Amino acid sequence: MGPGTTGTVDYAARHLRVGWRALLVFATLGLILESLQGFKVAAYLDVSNETRRLMWRLAHAHGTLLGVINVLFAFTLKSSSSPPPAAPRISIALVAATLLLPLGFFLGGAWFYAGDPGVGVVLVPLGAVALLAALFWIARSTRN
Amino acid sequence: MTQVAAPATVATSFDGVTVEAAAGGPMQLEQRGQELWAEFGDPDDASLASDTRVAPVRPRRIRRQVVMTTGSHNQQIFWYTTGNSRVLGQLPAIWLTAEQTWIPRRAAIMAPPSAAHHSETGAWNGICLSCHATAAQPRFDTPFGSRPIGEQSADSRAVELGIACEACHGPGDTHADANRNPLRRYTLHFTRAADSTIVQPARLDSRRGSQVCGQCHSFWEFANAAAEREANAHGLPYRPGDDLAATRFVVQPTSNLETAAMREFLAADAGFIRDIFWSDGMIRATGREYNGLIESPCFARATAASRTLTCFSCHTMHKADDDPRPLRQWADDQLSPRAIGDAACAACHTMDDAHSHHRAGSSGGSCENCHMPHTTYGLLKTIRSHQISSPSVQATITTGRPNACNLCHLDKTLAWTADRLAEWYGSARPALGADEQSVAASVLWLLKGDAGQRAIIAQAMGWRAAQDASGAGWLAPYLALTQKDQYDAVRLIASRSARTLPPFRRDQLPRGSAALLITSDGTFDAARVNRLVRERNNRPLVYRE
Repeated sequence: MGPGTTGTVDYAARHLRVGWRALLVFATLGLILESLQGFKVAAYLDVSNETRRLMWRLAHAHGTLLGVINVLFAFTLKSSSSPPPAAPRISIALVAATLLLPLGFFLGGAWFYAGDPGVGVVLVPLGAVALLAALFWIARSTRN
Repeated sequence: MTQVAAPATVATSFDGVTVEAAAGGPMQLEQRGQELWAEFGDPDDASLASDTRVAPVRPRRIRRQVVMTTGSHNQQIFWYTTGNSRVLGQLPAIWLTAEQTWIPRRAAIMAPPSAAHHSETGAWNGICLSCHATAAQPRFDTPFGSRPIGEQSADSRAVELGIACEACHGPGDTHADANRNPLRRYTLHFTRAADSTIVQPARLDSRRGSQVCGQCHSFWEFANAAAEREANAHGLPYRPGDDLAATRFVVQPTSNLETAAMREFLAADAGFIRDIFWSDGMIRATGREYNGLIESPCFARATAASRTLTCFSCHTMHKADDDPRPLRQWADDQLSPRAIGDAACAACHTMDDAHSHHRAGSSGGSCENCHMPHTTYGLLKTIRSHQISSPSVQATITTGRPNACNLCHLDKTLAWTADRLAEWYGSARPALGADEQSVAASVLWLLKGDAGQRAIIAQAMGWRAAQDASGAGWLAPYLALTQKDQYDAVRLIASRSARTLPPFRRDQLPRGSAALLITSDGTFDAARVNRLVRERNNRPLVYRE
């Protein structure tokens, strides 16, 4: 059993995998958004689509940032001799945040109502709570 | 569109430009950084009160900062600070958007050449701002026009320049406050319930909803002096959703000609309705479409709300997301994508070739070309009548209003039209004079008609559908004649139409066409042309645009 492994689960490997894949997906989304901008696609750039533009930019930014956080968490686990006892719930919360936050923003921009994001945006506060919980547990486990 | 004047908002350059086409002498334009300035003959110089065309006078020169513009699609008008409180003056020349040229301000108005000089100083504060700004208050010290403008002052205010949200949706403070609550917003989204904190014109009943547009697109007057004083101090009291007629007198000769208010207006100005309505009460000036709508059978005789014509049957003030047309194209007439072509009519009516007696898809088969002909004039062009009607030679004889058939079939007589309408729809054939039986109706209107009729025909002669139906080879001489019309506006329209024609070739004239007054040797019947011109209706005509 190596560093970052609890029981049969290798959390470091899991978060490296999730982190780099999130970076791939959300960096690609960034490229797509740049293309929409470059080709002046009305569905993205029209004044009436400002909500979509904001939501999708937030999806790109949050997804990329959460990818980085996953990678950082994986290296944190690898740098410690043994994973913290809270590792299972940190892992679940972090993966949930990585999915819910960008997905909520993306869906909120895919269907929206005038100045309000679509109902998919309800995933965002759930993801935010998961992220904050994960960060809290990570911070607490590193205090010593 | 009302905008603060700046290099980015004016439709043409002010940078060292000299405009010759300005009353009172050349106008010098200057750009100083973001500021625009003009030097020109003072429109309020007392010497201009005399007829400048008989004995041109040079008023004193003034230099003023241009601070605001109105208009954009058709023409742009420029307003300057007078130095007297917030009273604005109007530059003596305006910019025509399509022609990309300056013309004298006076030439843009359908008014006889003999009309006395008229200063527009203070017109923004007293008249224009009520519709070209939102929630405006003129705030003159004494009623606008009651004294010379130089002796008046105004502290005019507006919530916003131009037609902003509250112009059509009413005051929005309660709406904004209530909808800070996201739960309320999402509940409204999902239930599709009406938001009681704001007026949505399309949800109002057909009359009240159309009155939202009619607050500006109607011909109205203050009901009395007290109402005018109140509006001067606090702005017009009408709010979207109100009954428009409760706070102002909507002029409609078919229904209120005999009222005391109308009698007062007519006593003060005999031409009060004469130049803005056809004699049967149909509006003939652009910008008063509500007057036309409420006289339309599709509105007045509708039996169900869902089948009642309203402004929103055809127009939308917000371009739909799924409307593929470019913004500029939609903005030209703000037609809903559901109303392009015959779609709006087809919502209630069944169309077939047997009804129109024209090929489907042809210009003659289009609902609007027969039932909304271009018989309304304003802003140097004709637009479609917004009073839905059917072609009638009797109405033409009675009112002088060109009918849809002869606006396309320019080479046909009224007798020909009467025969077609009798044959197709059983319309009675009215008694026609010798000219009406033998001379093309368009030629009669162009030679004998009043200035409004001449403008309508001059524009029809530039209409591609009419040229296709009537042949274009004979139009140039008539348009050339019309380019010498007394009225600036008629000349300008004739020039515009002439530019749509191919180069004139005498050998393409339809020889021996008596209806077009063309003899068998390819010359015009000068005697008849001259007689018809001598019989012209020269009644001075001033459109209240």
